[in-house]
Amino acid sequence: MSASPAPGSVSTVKATFSDKPADTKPAAALEEDDEFEDFPVESWTQEETDVPAGNTHLWEESWDDDETSEDFSAQLKEELKKVEANKKR
Amino acid sequence: MDSFFKVFSAAYGGGDGYALADTLSPIAPASQPDKLRRFVHSTNYASVQNDFKYRLLYDKASPLRLNVEEGKAWVEVYVSFWKACVEILQAEAAINDNQKPSWEKVYRAWKEVSDHLNRGYTAAGFENWTVPCLYVVGKYLRMFAIKADEVASSLEQTTIDFNEDLSLDDEQHANLEDAARQLNKVFQLCLSDRASLEESRKWGIYSIINLLFKTYFKLGKITLSKNILNALRAYRGDMPELDAFPLSHQVTFKYYVGVISFLDEKYEECETCLTEAWYMCHKDSLRNKELILTYLIPCHLLTTHTLPSQALLEPYPYLQTLFSPLVRCIKQGDLSGFDAALAAGEDEFVRRRIYLTLERGRDIALRNLLRKVFIAGGFEPAKTGEGSVRRSRIRLVEFAAAVSLGSKETMETDEVECLLANMIYKNLMKGYIAREAGMVVLNKKGAFPGTGI
Repeated sequence: MSASPAPGSVSTVKATFSDKPADTKPAAALEEDDEFEDFPVESWTQEETDVPAGNTHLWEESWDDDETSEDFSAQLKEELKKVEANKKR
Repeated sequence: MDSFFKVFSAAYGGGDGYALADTLSPIAPASQPDKLRRFVHSTNYASVQNDFKYRLLYDKASPLRLNVEEGKAWVEVYVSFWKACVEILQAEAAINDNQKPSWEKVYRAWKEVSDHLNRGYTAAGFENWTVPCLYVVGKYLRMFAIKADEVASSLEQTTIDFNEDLSLDDEQHANLEDAARQLNKVFQLCLSDRASLEESRKWGIYSIINLLFKTYFKLGKITLSKNILNALRAYRGDMPELDAFPLSHQVTFKYYVGVISFLDEKYEECETCLTEAWYMCHKDSLRNKELILTYLIPCHLLTTHTLPSQALLEPYPYLQTLFSPLVRCIKQGDLSGFDAALAAGEDEFVRRRIYLTLERGRDIALRNLLRKVFIAGGFEPAKTGEGSVRRSRIRLVEFAAAVSLGSKETMETDEVECLLANMIYKNLMKGYIAREAGMVVLNKKGAFPGTGI
């Protein structure tokens, strides 16, 4: 208990661990990527989960009907001509 | 030694497992950056054993009255902890002097701590409220093993560069492999406790399982995780419900089980686990939420054919880059764009193990494209007394033209038929192909199930 810490040593102890992510990233970036991080706390309340009520606006349908279908019709007609021309050859 | 004992005494006396576990933390807290150093310097090799023995067992002034067996076991734990701390300080000093730190020595010393702690439970009656000690010791066991392996592999690289082809995988992870075996012992220690649930070490189980999952993933031995899940299943009736555990244990567990199901292509199970993890995750753990979504988004694409909204992706630039191009192409039914986006992101997708799942999203892009052809086909001439009905007989060449949009090659008719037949088989489209007429006849009541037409 008597030994007072040498100046400079203090930061070492801290740095080695707190800098860990930066430290290990380059060497093991590949595997490290998927690793779930430790939570800073063991448990928490509902209020701390921050998920908006209902998930309707988080996921949406995979198609988009808003897009002008006239454009597409025109494109399709154009392509159709090409395809049919190919067939005749 | 005094301050250490004060903390131990308060934690033990108060039955506070997390405070007790803190005494075994090999990291000095920010508030006391020299804690470890002072602890190490408070005694020496010659007297460390007696110092702890005196404090824990014989000190008349101490408020604690430990049972002798148990007290001796704690002495062993702390003596080994002290020795490990000495190694840690030496490793740190080496880093300071630009020398190679011997994390392997640290790892071995730390494993002793783990051994003594385990013995405390099996032979000296450590009570179950102390299980957070197992978490802390397990966590650093893994961390020191990883550090030790890193040093070992960096040494190897400098000495034998040409051995790249010889699979050094096992050797590269020698310490971590060892740590996995040690953690497995801890897992068994928790799992096989026969005490009643109130007094059971089973309350430590998910924390240890999560450490094992992380270790197996890092070792690339994900299948070993299934042994854990099987063992867990075998003890099911005998185990506290998962939702009785701290949220951090639950969320981490659900994440890993979700990813394991994902890799097994059990997408329904995956969706359940990851959705729960997502909802329970701490709001500030953005990185963890991002990880959950990395798998949940491809999963959703297959299970419910839905895509993430802008609002969902907004806080995660990485996920936006990763998924936005594909999402856009799927929505527009842009097949060649989809192929290009998949190819462009291939490396990253493969690395995250989501490539094959995303590839299956092409079906949805195709469905949307065919759906657009159907819509572009317009309506049948109106008959009196009926509502408007979409033109349900569509020439095969129209689909053929749609499929070749944006690509330089035209697809053979046979191939187009094959694509359509597949869509019908997968129930993404309803109807049949009238081959001789060169027509596709679509179901008038729901040609594309679930999409409103």
